[in-house]
Amino acid sequence: MIATTLSERRVRSRGGLVGLAVIAATGLCLPFASAGQPFLLMLASHALIAAILALSLDMLTGNTGLLSFGHAAWYGFGAYVAGLLSKSVSSDIAVLILLTLAATLLVSGAVGAILVRQVGKTFAILTLALSQIMFALVFVFSDITGGEDGLQGIPMATFFGAQIVSPATWYAILLGALLLALAGALHIRHAPLGRAWLAIRENSERARFIGMNVTLLKLISYMISASLASLAGLLFVLFNGATSPDLLHWLESGKVLMYVVLGGVGTIFGPVIGAVVFTLAEHYVSSFTDAWLIYFGALFVLIVIVAPGGLFGGAARIATRLSARKPGRRAAQ
Amino acid sequence: MLALSLVLNGIVLGSVLLLFSLGLTLIYGVGRIVNFAHGALFSAGAMAGVWLVASGVPFGVALVVAPVAVGLIGVLIDWAILARIRDRPMVDSLLLTFGLALLITGILYELGGRNVQIMPVPQVLGGVISLGGISLPTYRVFVSVLAIALTIALILFLKNSKWGLRVRAANDDPEMGACIGIDRERLMHSVVGVSAALAAASGVAAAPIFTAHAVVGDKILILAFMTVILGGLGSLRGAVVAAYAVGLILVFGEGYFGGQLALMLLFIVVMAMLINWPRGFFGEGRTE
Repeated sequence: MIATTLSERRVRSRGGLVGLAVIAATGLCLPFASAGQPFLLMLASHALIAAILALSLDMLTGNTGLLSFGHAAWYGFGAYVAGLLSKSVSSDIAVLILLTLAATLLVSGAVGAILVRQVGKTFAILTLALSQIMFALVFVFSDITGGEDGLQGIPMATFFGAQIVSPATWYAILLGALLLALAGALHIRHAPLGRAWLAIRENSERARFIGMNVTLLKLISYMISASLASLAGLLFVLFNGATSPDLLHWLESGKVLMYVVLGGVGTIFGPVIGAVVFTLAEHYVSSFTDAWLIYFGALFVLIVIVAPGGLFGGAARIATRLSARKPGRRAAQ
Repeated sequence: MLALSLVLNGIVLGSVLLLFSLGLTLIYGVGRIVNFAHGALFSAGAMAGVWLVASGVPFGVALVVAPVAVGLIGVLIDWAILARIRDRPMVDSLLLTFGLALLITGILYELGGRNVQIMPVPQVLGGVISLGGISLPTYRVFVSVLAIALTIALILFLKNSKWGLRVRAANDDPEMGACIGIDRERLMHSVVGVSAALAAASGVAAAPIFTAHAVVGDKILILAFMTVILGGLGSLRGAVVAAYAVGLILVFGEGYFGGQLALMLLFIVVMAMLINWPRGFFGEGRTE
């Protein structure tokens, strides 16, 4: 019994490594494929940020089953905090990351402590409300955040004095951040913490009965998820040089949710692929029609009805079924 | 003086909110669905009302026609879309109505919802009512009276009609209700229809105050969510009390601290409330 679980785990983590390698290879090949097309590299960079954001929501929803309808709150929070800090404190990216993460952990810990005590629907509603509050905050402090116009004139990010200028460098940083985040998510998934989260997702009452501190575990998941989202916001604002309140709008939360649902909740790779596919699709669709929100909404509805596991979820199920046969065959040999 | 005027305005906002949240409570009670698309239906009602009035239909007629039309759309949505996920986990219904909100908002954008449209106050209801030094536009008084009247009518209908009996039965125990022969599908169609019509009715009625555009319902949806949480999810009398509480908190916050901070204040109040009373004012909200 133990032997099968171990081999199963090895198979799965090998699957994770293969996935990581594929994403790394694809990501590394792209700059060569897009040589001479600077716009393509830019689009890919935005897709990478979207992928980190999608992964951050999957860290919460996929792990503990808590559904956040206002994840843009933390994305925007990170973007604004990092933007304001880089204008006032330092433009060093390492300093900014540390300070922004500290701020996010502090605020998300305080808010999350109340939020994660709520179950299902109340949690969903409150997360949506939270994002609206963050949206409103931008306008309350419009003299420092720029209000409707957005936060402009963010100095170029530096790393120990060296300016990060070229799009290729940015692309490498973003790809590196995504790969690190993915590796972290995969590691946690198989670590005791990740196992405990899955137990909560499947049945939080049983998890409590076997002695888990469900509230604390949910809070940890919420804070990690918020931090990763805020990191995505930080990367966005430094890469983009400006940010607008649109980042905090519920449409943005809807998009993040769409990445995760499209890719398959809890599949780790699914949301990342969903984010990339969706960002590219959004770009090409919105170039020939401005009614893309209709297609987007209709697709959302359709996926929830037809393929609740998402596109990647369906593929992953088939893959699991295939790999589940392999150990048996090996045992027979 | 300011305080009294704020109280009156709080009651006006509370009344609109009440009418709007009733639909949310109703659909939650029977279908256990938190309807994220409720705000989009509010916007749809407001835009339909403005369009009807602009094309020469009297305001009174628009106030009836727009909600009926949106109500029928609600029935259609339930029949075509919501019925597909009846027995799925709760998460799916949340995602689905969220997707619907995006879809309806997208359609409203294409129907001219990008621009703010003004609904003129009907002439009969123009002017200002003065009472002991405090003045309130007549139209606001009308909206409050209308919302309260509709609410009372709905509650009486729920208490005294066959339909109301079925709704209350399904609200208390959907499975048992189905066992004693309540056609859940048809009941759900009607409930979603009524709920959509209520959202649209509040949208049309509030259009002269809030104007009309594709996302006019966003803010009121958040306020209504705060309302149903304060009152307890699925609790009708909780929603009644909470609607006025939210209306007053918001108007007082706006009066003393400014518009956006008021929303924050409300959020903090709701969060504080949840720590001790997660089931709302009357302790009868559902937590699931």
